[in-house]
Amino acid sequence: MKQERFVALHGREWDSLQSWFSALERQPKRTLRQEQALDFPSAYRRLCHHLALARGRGYSHEVTDRLQRLAQQGHRVLYRPPAPRWHRVASFLVAGFPQLVRSQWRCMLAAAVLFYVPALVMLVLMQVRPELAHTVFSSAQLAQFEKMYDPANPRIGRSSGTDLQMFGFYVMNNVSIAFRTFASGLLFGVGAIYVLGANGMLIGGVAGHLTAIGYGAPFWRFVVGHSPFELSALVIAGGAGLQLGLTLLAPGRRRRGPALVAAGWIGAQLALGAFAMLLVAAFIEAYWSSIAALSDPVKFGSGALLWVLVLGWLWRGGRAGRHGA
Amino acid sequence: MIDTIREIETPEGISLRLRAAGALPRAQAWTLDLLLRVGMLFFATIPLSLFGLGGNGLVLLLIFALMWAYSVVFEVWWNGQTPGKRALGLRVVNADGTPVTWLPSVVRNLMRVVDILPGVYGVGLVSTLIDPHARRLGDIVAGTLVIHAGELPAGQQVPAMEAIPLPVVLAVDEQAALVEFTERAGQLSVPRQEELANLLTPLTGLRDTAAIRRLVAHANWLLGRA
Repeated sequence: MKQERFVALHGREWDSLQSWFSALERQPKRTLRQEQALDFPSAYRRLCHHLALARGRGYSHEVTDRLQRLAQQGHRVLYRPPAPRWHRVASFLVAGFPQLVRSQWRCMLAAAVLFYVPALVMLVLMQVRPELAHTVFSSAQLAQFEKMYDPANPRIGRSSGTDLQMFGFYVMNNVSIAFRTFASGLLFGVGAIYVLGANGMLIGGVAGHLTAIGYGAPFWRFVVGHSPFELSALVIAGGAGLQLGLTLLAPGRRRRGPALVAAGWIGAQLALGAFAMLLVAAFIEAYWSSIAALSDPVKFGSGALLWVLVLGWLWRGGRAGRHGA
Repeated sequence: MIDTIREIETPEGISLRLRAAGALPRAQAWTLDLLLRVGMLFFATIPLSLFGLGGNGLVLLLIFALMWAYSVVFEVWWNGQTPGKRALGLRVVNADGTPVTWLPSVVRNLMRVVDILPGVYGVGLVSTLIDPHARRLGDIVAGTLVIHAGELPAGQQVPAMEAIPLPVVLAVDEQAALVEFTERAGQLSVPRQEELANLLTPLTGLRDTAAIRRLVAHANWLLGRA
């Protein structure tokens, strides 16, 4: 068949598809509800068929370029990302995320060791040799910590600021740290190891110093509520980073490229879960942890309950038995 | 062949042609996005400051959103384009040419942390120069690609003219070359057209303007015009 006849046969169909695409660009929602939308997948397949024919028969660029252009547009429309579904987010948080954390348990364990061991070492060191605090922290930092957790302070854990201000600060600060921990894992895991170790030493050092100078009570009362979410999220983000770095070093039985893409996919889900945990942590830290008036049993009881809940969620969440697989 | 076009075969059995975008337009798009975000922050800070210290918290939340969520939200909901990318005619797509989805977009934007290292996108620049499809590390890990969104100009119509059959039978690629010449003739200067048409004097037996007209007539015949 000669080119002119081919265009004469199908040109009108291509034009109508073209005008449907431009309508879609102007009013996406309305156009998708029209009847023609139901016809689109088969129209697109016919178009692809025409393009293959045109190429095979060696038609000129006038026709092949026009069809190629339409096909690219159609491909974008047909394979557009699905609308987000809230129940999928919920089921990810309840079941998918803990499952994913458990599936990466080696990296999570390594991250936990990298974080908690320096923290505990610093905590103990500060009790044995309190003067070390001046080596690790500058005096300005120490003064600020001491002001924040002064037993005479009516709002513990902060030197100034309202709940909302601190909520914004915690989200900005903690989530950024978690995201950087994950992403810097791509540097062969070195970045994640460094951030985990450094934060462990910092947190352990502050806790140890404040306990040693007798400000321990307000400090532990402050952190016990949000620590299960915050520390676990940091460890998970670090584990996600380690997992990424490890894949780069030892991709196993896959090529490095596809292995990295798979690891990035897992890591992003872990980072998003850590983000959700840190939002909860920031909320607790800003609105609950800072209340000084509550009695010790309430503070420590709720803190212990939250630790049990978080660890139980990570340990049991999404087990096959509960969902009937 | 030195080419940035990446051909991807789709399930329908055709190939998509994606033109990978290099470092320069992407840097320009990023700069535009940066300016836009700084501007948004600046204008949002004024009303938010009325809320006092609590407003500071909202400002920090806004900085957080602009820093981490801006690119992801635009890329997924705006056909793979942030405002800067749209201005430069760029688009983010998955490696298989489909529109970018949530997780790949999250990965490629989180990985900016590494690409941005030493100073301003040092790692990213080196990566785009080495990679055949100009991907930065974030794109490689996410399995995404930044392409030029605009399509190449389509071939022009061959001027209509009374068709004259070819005196000899030409091979398929020779026919294609002849039709392509007449499609593109409009983009060439007249002396250049004549120079090319004169190469076919053995076929047409004519020179200069007459040769061009004869080739167009042959092309009309090849396309099947009456």
